[in-house]
Amino acid sequence: MVGTILLVEDEPVTRTSMAARLTRLGYRVLEAENGRVGLDVARREHPDLLIVDWMMPEMDGPTFCEAVRRDPLLKSSQLLLMTAHDQPVQIAEGLARGADDFLSKSASKQEITARVLAGLRTSRLVRALETAGQELVSSMRLLQEKQAETEADLQSAALFVQSLLPPQGSPVQGIALAWEYQPSLVLGGDLFDVMAVDEEHLGLYILDASGHGVAAALRSASLMSFLQVDNVLQLLGSYDPVTVLSEANRRFPLSADGEYFTLWVGQLHLPTGRLSYASAGHPGALLCSAQGPSQWLTRSSCPLGFDPVARFERDCVTLMPADRLFLLSDGIYEVQSPSGELWGRERFQKVIDAEKRTSLSMTIGTCFSEARHWQETHQFQDDAAVMGIELTGSPKGMVNG
Amino acid sequence: MDITQRAVKGATVLDLKGDLTYSNRAAFKTAVEQVKNSNCRHLIVNMEQVRFVDSSGLGLLVLVSQTFKLQQAQISLLKPQSYVREIMSLANIPKMIPIYETEGDAITARAA
Repeated sequence: MVGTILLVEDEPVTRTSMAARLTRLGYRVLEAENGRVGLDVARREHPDLLIVDWMMPEMDGPTFCEAVRRDPLLKSSQLLLMTAHDQPVQIAEGLARGADDFLSKSASKQEITARVLAGLRTSRLVRALETAGQELVSSMRLLQEKQAETEADLQSAALFVQSLLPPQGSPVQGIALAWEYQPSLVLGGDLFDVMAVDEEHLGLYILDASGHGVAAALRSASLMSFLQVDNVLQLLGSYDPVTVLSEANRRFPLSADGEYFTLWVGQLHLPTGRLSYASAGHPGALLCSAQGPSQWLTRSSCPLGFDPVARFERDCVTLMPADRLFLLSDGIYEVQSPSGELWGRERFQKVIDAEKRTSLSMTIGTCFSEARHWQETHQFQDDAAVMGIELTGSPKGMVNG
Repeated sequence: MDITQRAVKGATVLDLKGDLTYSNRAAFKTAVEQVKNSNCRHLIVNMEQVRFVDSSGLGLLVLVSQTFKLQQAQISLLKPQSYVREIMSLANIPKMIPIYETEGDAITARAA
């Protein structure tokens, strides 16, 4: 590529002879008879190198250099200041006012060639840097725009997922419900629900999708729609936990990435308080009895999709008035202190036991604050969910919805 | 996570060091894929230096075991730490993938 050089020199003879020398060296040469014209040409042509005479009427060389450095379009130009005498003081002043190098009017052909080449080399480097910088800025802007779009999509998906969760309060007469949910990312893969199956039964479950992010949330939403009471009753005729788990196990095999669900399903018979439940690899539920110690309602079992012919076991327990049942994801207690120590199930259980006398929602709130206190950070590494129900009235409470 | 592969009599051992979790799954999958493509009949996953396995890690182990079975090959786990063992037991892993206490036991059990 041939370099373009702008020569700014008021003296016609010197300008013409220098222009001829440069042209002979193979460069494209633009000429300007004073600084003002020089600036115009520079802005229009964007030359690779500017050679400027020191002594000029109106605008001298150093003043021209200063004007170039102030101009946003020109400020990174390479400037060679031409002078008849190269006194150290003069050189220092020229450099200070914006010149990059000097060229003596009496310089040999070799020296001119060398200085012009050096100037052009620097100019190419500066231009390459500028281009890279501009590309980086525009890539960054594009990336930020894309990121904002994705964030907005995720937020809207998260709102949808939140809308699937049960309303807090009282799903049926005689039952209080409270929960807290803190997804590790905007979108969580842990979901839970409580719903009236018929006039006497309350169905409840918690599911945990392995993995994180959008894929996990999508898979969870699809399992959740399978678990909807209308769907289950239509397909299976009842909300029997073992039947539900077996069907879910058949329908949700291990994904190609090895992702899967754990699921705990329970059915509470409201007139008697009898809870039947089954788990597919889910760490489970904690029954907090008003009278005695709390107990974990779980047993070792296969997560969904691990074994196509897995058999799930049904367990039963009877809930008494004022008893509480908590369904929770392992993300609430598998939190690590900065030194790497796990908070653990036992500490979680202790909080639940100690908070028997406070309200359900406050108990759950305390679990979250204690877990956060332990890990010394607000954000959870994994989705953290705790849902609690409490038998508020007589176990003969009837369904109102 | 650091994964080193070595050959022993009749098997390939992957020595894992670090956590087997969602964020490390790509490294583990790549290592297993290499072993699988070498037509290995028995993969021993050494869990001795694995401090934590999350749900994704468990899923990967089961997935690997399922795909190895399809090729009439087998995977064994070696010496999981107690917490990891607890997590695996809760998910019934020991019923699907045999766990051994020594490398010798793992090799002999397969050979037998």
